Parts: sequence; C-alpha cells; structure tokens
Amino acid sequence: MVTNNVNVHTQERFRFVCRLAVIVAVSLCVMVAQADTAAPTEYQVKAAFIYKFASYVQWPMIPGLVSTRPFVIGIFGKDPFGPSFDQIVRGQTVQGRAVVIKRLPGIEDAGSCDILFISDSEKSNLRRILTVLRDAPVLTVGDMDHFGERGGMINLTTEDNRIRFDINVRAIERARLKAASQLLRLARIVEESPSD
Amino acid sequence: MARSLSIGSRLRLLSVLTSGTALLAASVALLFFQLQEVRTEMLRRLETVADIIAFNSAAAVDFNDADAATTMLAALKTRPGVVSAGIVARGNIFATYVRAGAKLPEAAALRPNSAGYRFTDQDLLVYRPVTSKGREFGTLFVQSDLREIDQTFRRFTLITGVVAIPALLIAILISLYPQRRISKPILNLAALAAVVSEKGDYSIRAPIERSAAEIEQLVATFNQMLAEIQQQNARLEEAHATLEQRVAERTRDLELRSDQLEAQGSELDAANKELEAFSYSVSHDLRAPLRAIDGFSKALLEDYPGKTLDERGMHYLERVRVGTKRMASLIDDLLNLSRVTRSSLQRRETDVTAIAEAAAAELARRHPERQVHYQIEGGLHAFADSHLLTIVLENLLGNAWKFSANVPDARIEIGQQKNGNDSVFYVRDNGAGFDMAYADKLFGAFQRLHTESEFEGTGIGLATVQRIIHRHGGRIWAEAEQGKGATFSFTLGGERERTSDSSSRR
Repeated sequence: MVTNNVNVHTQERFRFVCRLAVIVAVSLCVMVAQADTAAPTEYQVKAAFIYKFASYVQWPMIPGLVSTRPFVIGIFGKDPFGPSFDQIVRGQTVQGRAVVIKRLPGIEDAGSCDILFISDSEKSNLRRILTVLRDAPVLTVGDMDHFGERGGMINLTTEDNRIRFDINVRAIERARLKAASQLLRLARIVEESPSD
Repeated sequence: MARSLSIGSRLRLLSVLTSGTALLAASVALLFFQLQEVRTEMLRRLETVADIIAFNSAAAVDFNDADAATTMLAALKTRPGVVSAGIVARGNIFATYVRAGAKLPEAAALRPNSAGYRFTDQDLLVYRPVTSKGREFGTLFVQSDLREIDQTFRRFTLITGVVAIPALLIAILISLYPQRRISKPILNLAALAAVVSEKGDYSIRAPIERSAAEIEQLVATFNQMLAEIQQQNARLEEAHATLEQRVAERTRDLELRSDQLEAQGSELDAANKELEAFSYSVSHDLRAPLRAIDGFSKALLEDYPGKTLDERGMHYLERVRVGTKRMASLIDDLLNLSRVTRSSLQRRETDVTAIAEAAAAELARRHPERQVHYQIEGGLHAFADSHLLTIVLENLLGNAWKFSANVPDARIEIGQQKNGNDSVFYVRDNGAGFDMAYADKLFGAFQRLHTESEFEGTGIGLATVQRIIHRHGGRIWAEAEQGKGATFSFTLGGERERTSDSSSRR
C-alpha cells in the first residue's frame, strides 16, 4: 500500500496546507479574474510549473546535513511574473524548507539559488550565466528559444496554447541533479548542440 | 419400511459414501482456498499495476498533461483483466482508459478514495492516490473484471470432474476386494443358518475361510455353537427316553396305590356314615321312650299328690323327671352334633352382633333371676353359615353365662379383634375360668372340667362348637385362669373366598 500510517499525519498536514494554498490561489485567481480575465495567465501557469519542478527534481544531499535555509527560487533578468509568483509560493515549502523568491540584481549570487529562472531578456547573456554557475546544483529554467540546446536544463514553451517544457538531461546530470522519470516522460528531451 | 439391503450392497454404499464425501469435502475446501488465493493474487497484482500507474502519472496530473496521463493509462490494455481505469483530479475526470466494449464504472464508484479496494459481484476496483512529495492531486482507479476467478472456478470444476469421478470409481473397485472377503463368509454363514433352521440338521459346519478376524471368530463360534447344540440334543434325547420310562413306572405304581386308597376311602366313608346313622337313629329312637317316662312321671305327680305317693315318693319322682330332662338335653345335643356334621355349609354375609344379642336375650328370658352385664360390639359381620354360627354363639354365651353364675358382678363381653389378616371373634367372661393345664380337653365330647354339681351341662357343646368352626376352616382356642374368667376366641376362615360358597380349609 502506498498509504503508510506514519505518513498519514504529515500527509494530512500537507493536504491541509495544499487546500489552504488552493483556497488562496483560487481567491487570488478570482481577484485576478475580476481584474483581468477568467483563465490564469501564461506566467501564472509558468510560475506554478517552476515551483512544481522542485517536486520532481532531486538536489544532491550532503549526508547527515539537513538544510534549514530557505528554498530559493531566483529570477534573473526582467521579471515576467509580476506578483503572481510570490502569491503562488507564499507559505509553501520544499523538503520542509520555506520557499522564497529572489530577484537577482547580478549573476554573482546565482550559486545560492536552488532554482534559477533566466528571463528571455538575458538570452544574450546565457553563455556567461551558465559559465558562472559551472554545473553547480542549480536547476536552470529558461523561457527562450533553444534554451536547452544551449546548455539550460528546462525550457518552458508554449504549444497550442498549452505550456510545455523541454529538458536537457545531460545538463541536469552534470549538475548532479536527478530529474524524476515522471517529469521526463512529460518533457520533450533535447540534446545540447555544440555548434552554439 | 425400506427394503433391507444385503451386506454387500451396504458395504459398497458405505465405501461410495465415504470416498464420495471425502472427495467432495476435499474438492470444496481446495476450491475455496484456490479461489481465495486467486482473489488475493488478483488484488495484489492489480494493486501493483495501480501503484505503478499512480506513480508514473503523478507529474502528468501535476502538470495538467491529460494526453500524457491518457497515454500512460492506455498501457493497461496489455493487462487482460483490466476493464477500465481513470484519474480523478480537481473534482473532474482527468484521464480515462476504457477497454473496447466496456464502460466506466458508475460515478459513485469514481468518488476519490485515496487508497483501498472494493470487490463486487462483477468487478474489483482498486484506488490509489496520485501524489508527489506528499502533495496529493488526484485519485487513480483501476477496474478489473472477475474473469480470472471465473476461469479458476471453471478449470477447477473441470479438473474435479476429470479427476474425482475416476478416483471415486477406482476407490470403489479397490474396496470391492476386501469387501467380498467380509461379506462372502457372512453370506455363507447366513445361508448355512437358514439350512440349519430349516432342516434342523446340526451336523453341518461352516467352511473356515480367510477373512476379517472377527468374522473368522464368528464362523468358529457358530460351528462351536452347532456342535454344542448337537451334543445337547443327544443328551436331551437320552434324558427324555429315561424320563419316559420312569414316568411309565411311576404311573403304574400310582394307579395301583390310588386303587388301594379308593378302596380304603370308600370303606372309611361307609363306616362313618354307618356310625352317624347309628348315632342319629339311636338318639331319635331314644326320645320316644324318654318322653313316655317323663309324661307318665308328670302324670303321677299331678294326679296323685298325697294319695298314693308320700313325700318321699314325690321326691323320687321329681328326681326321675330331672334325670329324663337331662337325658333329653343330652339326646338333643347329640342330635345337634350329628346334624352339624351332616348338614352342608351355607356361607353368607352374617350379622354376628344380631345373633349374639338374640342369644343373650334368650338367656336373660330363661333366667330372669340373674343380672349379667353384657357388652356386645356393634356391627360385627362374618361370612359364615348363620344357622351354625347361631349354635356356636348360643353355646359360648351359654357357657359364659353358666360359669359366671357364682360371680356377684357377672360380665360377658363379645367382640372382634384383628390378628394379622384374620379377624378373631371372642367371648369373654369373668366367671370361674379353668386351669390351662386342661385346655386341650376342653373341646372333646363328654369332657368336663367341672363336676355336674358345680355347673350343669352335657359336655357336648364345645365339641359341637369346635366341629362347626373346623367346618368353616377356622380355629378355636381358649385362655383362662382359675377363678378369673375365660376367653374363647375363634376365627371363621373363608374370609378370602367370601364370594365363593366353598368350605375349603384355610
């Protein structure tokens, strides 16, 4: 059985938190919908996707060390999400760590992030950014053409009005991260092209 | 009543029933466990499948990729039993798989049920939560039909039929051999017993065959029994012959002796009758001259007082008259005694109290000068000859009356007391009594314990009484003490045959 008595309590708490989040999200959506349109916007969905990737990716662990610092999602470049990202992750945790959104002023701090969103505005700086990261265990998520092919890990795309993503498995492996098979199954797997 | 089965049929039936029941029980138990096993296995497999699908589809649900989820569910078509599957997320059916020709389960069955299973008559539903890192975002259900159970059932029934029926037949065939060994000697024995009882020929013996130990013993015992019967028959015949011979001898002896007895008896009877006739006729004949003597002496006394006869002559004549009176009463008593012997006994319900009171009244009338205190118990009854009982009571009362003459306060008591089953009548007085040393002479004829001058009497009364009591089959006895009175007690016998008219002894 998947359900396990020890986990029931934790699970219950999670469920409660999730429900709370859903309620908050729904009320926000309602507010947003009242302000704009009924359906969530592209970047609301993309923000949710980025947050969810944390559930399907495993960061390298230092044995015996339990990190208490927050789970940082960095945004580099022009922020396309507005306040929606902060709303989505408010009160959420990843592996017991509170999730915070950091808008990075420079690339120097990128190594302190767990997930780094690289905005389309930094398309030209990508090579430099990736060099700085140097296969550090940071999940890079991009929102630009050929992000994966150019050495990024997960690239968000829009296809038939649906948000999808590409994954560069090799880049993930190099950073000693592990992407869950469930996630890979949903993604379009791309290879790095050395030509770039 | 049902026809009795032969021992062979019974044993055959027994073995069929035994093996059949054992087989049936084993088959049912096996089928039960088999089905249980299949169910468990089926559930386990379906749960594994559901677990895999739930795990694999987690991201698809999470990232709202219904196509990917549907593709994953479609992989279930390689599972023969799976009829349908689906994921319910965010309150809607997110993705489904339905085998061709099948339908999704009813909406109620799709209600998210985080983990578990449900067996119904037609299907098995397994539910699994779709989760990732503790976040649950949907429920997966997988529905399987029960074809596996049905197949198992069919296969099992077929195998049972193919295996069990020949097995049963083999069991019966195997049981036939030992069964013959048991039934055959018993049947032989039964046939033999029939022949023996029909022909009465005890010289036949049952053949001894190998069989069950008890049956061999039975045959041996039966043979032994036949031998014993044969011996006993021979002995009986011998005894019978001896006995017949002895009976014949005895019969001859008895016939001889009974002839002699008959001769003696008739001689005795004749002598008795002669004696009685003699005593009767003597007494009867004696009365005529006695009456003449009395009559003429009375005439002399009345017609010639003081003329020819002086005082002395008159006195002598008085003495003659007293003598004749005594003789008359003697003759009367003798006649009574012989009459008692001759007359037949006529028992009937008799009022003893009434007879006693009449006798007492008669005595009082004859002797008005005496004052006697009577105490007669009321309601006394007896089954006796009333005429003879009157004679008994007159005599006993007369005696009591007579022997209490010299007592100032004379008392006579008549009553009854129970002595075991006998009812004993008694006549008690407080008169002269007698010496118990002479008690055995009391009832003899002409036996007197007192002189004539003390108490008048003929000495025949008690003899008559005893004879009457004996004729009734009763007993009479007396207890007394000189000067303190006497008690005469008697029983009348025949109490037990009151209804009959017999005079048999007790």
